[in-house]
Amino acid sequence: MNSHRNPSEERLLAYAAGALSPPEAVVVAAHLALRPANEAWVRRLQTVGGKFLEEAVPAALSDDALAHALARIETDAGEVKLPAPLNDMPELPEPLRRYALGPWRWIGPGVRARDVHAPRDGACRVILLKIDPGRETPRHTHAGVELTCVLSGAYATETERFDVGDLEEADQEVLHQPRVVSDIPCLCVVALDGEIQLDGWLGRLMQPFVRL
Amino acid sequence: MHVEAASSTSSARVLARMSAEGPTSVAFAHDRLIEAVALRRDREAFAELFNYYAPRLKAWLIKSGATAAAAEDFAQDAMLTLWRKADLFDARKARAATWIFTIARNRRLDMLRRDARPLPTPEIDLIDSQTPQPDDILAASQDAERVRDALSRLKADQVEVLRLAFFMDSPHSEIAQRLDLPLGTVKSRIRNAMIKLRLILEASAGAPR
Repeated sequence: MNSHRNPSEERLLAYAAGALSPPEAVVVAAHLALRPANEAWVRRLQTVGGKFLEEAVPAALSDDALAHALARIETDAGEVKLPAPLNDMPELPEPLRRYALGPWRWIGPGVRARDVHAPRDGACRVILLKIDPGRETPRHTHAGVELTCVLSGAYATETERFDVGDLEEADQEVLHQPRVVSDIPCLCVVALDGEIQLDGWLGRLMQPFVRL
Repeated sequence: MHVEAASSTSSARVLARMSAEGPTSVAFAHDRLIEAVALRRDREAFAELFNYYAPRLKAWLIKSGATAAAAEDFAQDAMLTLWRKADLFDARKARAATWIFTIARNRRLDMLRRDARPLPTPEIDLIDSQTPQPDDILAASQDAERVRDALSRLKADQVEVLRLAFFMDSPHSEIAQRLDLPLGTVKSRIRNAMIKLRLILEASAGAPR
């Protein structure tokens, strides 16, 4: 397993346990929809979670806990939240289809982004990024962790190539200038923490105008 | 309070008998109880499930750092979700404990949302969205068996870090604190445990990735 293109074991474990921040969980969910082998592994990890739940030493409930639960189900209308309507991008993997999407915004030549209205976690949020063939995003470093999953097309960094379903974990230390190497635009879903710091004179010039 | 042994309902008798036959039978009995909730809105069956799982769900949340009151609310909410979604349960896809674990996991993810804006967001739910395959009936129960077997083959300290990783919010630093170990040791222990777990489970599944 290539640790750069698949989530780390720790991240899959945290996802299975529900301990990832919601924006990261959204990106990992998209990755799993595109990588059945990893999805099967996460389901197996959830079997481990179920096993640990069975083995947990029970904590005493308050005396009226069961009565309270039974009263709640008596008065419960049984309403399950209606699923949110599908968004306007049928090409997205299923876990992303029911999030509302913001308008496409121009970020730079051949680079557009739109917000995915998934739950935020502080400054961390989810965006879709679409970059035209041959284009690069401005060279940048990150204030926080960036988790990227390729949904179509492919990009390459200085050292690696990322294809559909691949997941990249970048942090502050990574100076990042992905270039699209597919002949179709590259669409990615990204969990972004903090503002991107654009590098170089063009970056510094653009920084005040570009809010990713 | 652990009342399942004191209960004299018919489903409790089923459970007691199955319990005598071993842990796998208990899991199967729980599957039947969830199906009874789905088919007949069976309140006795719900009470049995509540008595078994609510104290364990509460224990989970307390371990992750919640107050006793918040942990009990969590257990209540998770069990109400079970009541509402029981008809989505499919024993071919996941055994009872796994399914209840995922319900609770999704609720936990909801709680971790620090964003107060109510958004019509779907739950991330691998198991319910999965279409059952013909060999899933075997797969779900075999998976539970294999997991039990695999865990018994890990070292005790590896099982311990995995268990803590499942039940704590920001696993690594909290586990390091609790076990009084350096962070690096905890990270490598979790990684090694995961690698070994994967090796055992994938060898026993006989399925190359």
